[in-house]
Amino acid sequence: MNDRFVGQAPSSKAAMDIVELARRIRHSIIDLAHISQGPHVGSALSCTDILATLYFRMLRLDDWEHRDIAILSKGHAAMALYATLAERGIIDRALLKGYCVNDGTLPAHLDRFSAKGIEVSAGSLGHGFNLGIGMAYAYKKRGEDRRVYAVIGDGENQEGSIWEGALFAPKMGVDNFSVIVDANNLQGYGRPSELCELYPLREKWLAFGWHAVEVDGHDHTAIEQALREATGGKPRAVIAHTTKGKGVPFMEDELVWHYYLVTDDIRAKAMEALG
Amino acid sequence: MRNAFVNTIIDACLKEEDIFIISGDAGLGVFDDFQKQHPDRFLNLGVAEQNTISVAAGMALAGFRVYVYNIVPFVLYRCYEQVRNDICYQNLPVTLIGIGAGLTYAPQGMTHYSVEDLGIAQTLPNLRVFSPADPTEAEAAARITLAESQPTYVRLAKRGEPRIHAGATVDASRPIIMAEGCDVTIVFHGTVANEAMSAHELLREQGISARVVSLPQVEPCPYDLISEAAEGTGEVITVEEHFVNSGLGARLAFWHASHRPSWRLSCLGIAPEYIHAIKKQDGMRNHYGISASHIASHVRSLMNQTTGVR
Repeated sequence: MNDRFVGQAPSSKAAMDIVELARRIRHSIIDLAHISQGPHVGSALSCTDILATLYFRMLRLDDWEHRDIAILSKGHAAMALYATLAERGIIDRALLKGYCVNDGTLPAHLDRFSAKGIEVSAGSLGHGFNLGIGMAYAYKKRGEDRRVYAVIGDGENQEGSIWEGALFAPKMGVDNFSVIVDANNLQGYGRPSELCELYPLREKWLAFGWHAVEVDGHDHTAIEQALREATGGKPRAVIAHTTKGKGVPFMEDELVWHYYLVTDDIRAKAMEALG
Repeated sequence: MRNAFVNTIIDACLKEEDIFIISGDAGLGVFDDFQKQHPDRFLNLGVAEQNTISVAAGMALAGFRVYVYNIVPFVLYRCYEQVRNDICYQNLPVTLIGIGAGLTYAPQGMTHYSVEDLGIAQTLPNLRVFSPADPTEAEAAARITLAESQPTYVRLAKRGEPRIHAGATVDASRPIIMAEGCDVTIVFHGTVANEAMSAHELLREQGISARVVSLPQVEPCPYDLISEAAEGTGEVITVEEHFVNSGLGARLAFWHASHRPSWRLSCLGIAPEYIHAIKKQDGMRNHYGISASHIASHVRSLMNQTTGVR
C-alpha cells in the first residue's frame, strides 16, 4: 500500500489530456477512500472534473503570492481536492499517505493549516462560499487582479448563509467571484426534491442578480467556457450538472456511496472500472 | 465607551490602510463621518449575520484587519459557527465589537440581553475577550486589537459611561486595582463598575476595607495576576452582569479548584434563567443581587462567617 502514492506528477501538465488527469485524480480518490475507510467517495468523484478544470485550465498559480483562489466549500469532498493538489504538484503526493490515519497529515474535512493549497478550513456547509466572497471583495478593494472560485454542493443550497451571500454579492461588485454548484442531485439521505423544491436553481441565482448558466459538470471544455464568458460585472454562478460517483459505474447516482466504505474488493473493482 | 472604542479604531484608519469596518445595519450615526472620510473602508452588510462574519473572515484571509460592529447577539449568537470555524479556527484578525453588554438594553427584553456571551466566548480557543468598564479601558482594549492581530471579542455597554480611571490610559491586559483594601477583594468586569465602586464606599462606612479590582481582559483569564491582586485578603468576590454559572466567576472557580489558592472564592452574578421581569438596568441589578447594596451585604456576611459578628 505504501508505494501507492509515490511517483512524480506528470511534468508537462499543460500538454496532458485533462481527461487523463481527471482519471488519475479519480484513482487517487479511490485509494484515499480505501486507506482511510471513510465516507464521501461519491461526493469526491462528483466534483473531480470541476476541480480538474479549475486547477489545470483556470487558476493562475505561477505567482503563488498573488494566485487565484479555489475554495472547496463542500469540504466533505476533501479527497478530491487533495488528489487534485497532488496531481497539480502543489502538495507532495506522499502527503496523501497520511489521509485520515493515526498521526496523519490530511483530515477528512479541510484544515487550512494542514497543507499548502488548502485555502480555507471547511467542512460545515455554507461557510467557504461566503469566505470566498470576502476574499474576492478584498482583492477588488486593493485593485489586485485575482479571481476566486468556490465549489458548493447542491444540497448546500439549503443553507441560509448561501442566500445571504447570494443577496449581497452583486451589490459588492465581486465580478471576480464564481460559484460552481456541483449539482449531482443527491444529498446525504436522498434527492433534494424529496426534501424541498431546490430546483430550478439557475433561475434562483438569476433572480438574486447573478450571471448564471448551466453546464455538463463533467465536460471540461464546457465548464471552462462557462467560467470564461463575460458576466457584465456580475458575480458568476455555474450550475454544473454532475453524477455522484462519476467514473465508477456501480457508484454512479447511487445514494449509498455518500457513506459506503471502499473495501479491498470494492477498490479492485473501482480501479478496473476507471481503467 | 462605545464611541471611545470605535473612535480609536477610526483614528488608526488614517495611518493604517489594512483596517476595514463592517456594520450589520446597526450603530446609527456612529460611522457617519467615517463613511464620508473612508467610503472604501466601510460596508453595511445588513441583516445577514452569517454572511457578515464569513465575509469578514474572508477579507482577513486576504490581508485586512476587520472590525465587525453590531449588538452582541448578532456578532456571537446568531453566527456562532461562523465565529468558530471562520474566525477562531482559522485564527484570523477579526474583532467583534458587541454592543449592549449584560443588561445594558433593559427593558428591551431577553432577545437583546447578553448575559451568556462570556460563556460562549470561552468555548472559542484563540479568541481574546475584553469587557471594558469605561471609555479609558475601551480605548486601551482598542489599542491592543490594533497592535496584536488575533480573533477578539469586545463586549461594550453603549455610550455615556463615566470614566472611572484617574489616569489617561491603562493596561487593559491586566487586572487594575481601583481602590485599596485589606479585608476582601472584589473583582468585577465591565458594566457593573459603578456598583462595585459604590459597594467599596458602603463597606468603608461600615468599617470593612474592600479592595476593588477591574478586569478588562476576561480571556485569556489572567488567573495568576488576579491571585496576586488579591494577595493578603482572604476572600475574593467576583461581580458581573452575566449569568453566574458561565462568566468570570465560574471561570475562576474552575481554576480555583485545581490551584487551591489561600483565598476563598464567591461569585455574584445573574441567576441563569430567561428574564421575563420588566425593569430598567438598575432595577434588574437589584432583582438579581448585583447592586452595590447586595455586594456590600454579601461581603458583610462573609466577614461575619470568618470573624464573628462585627
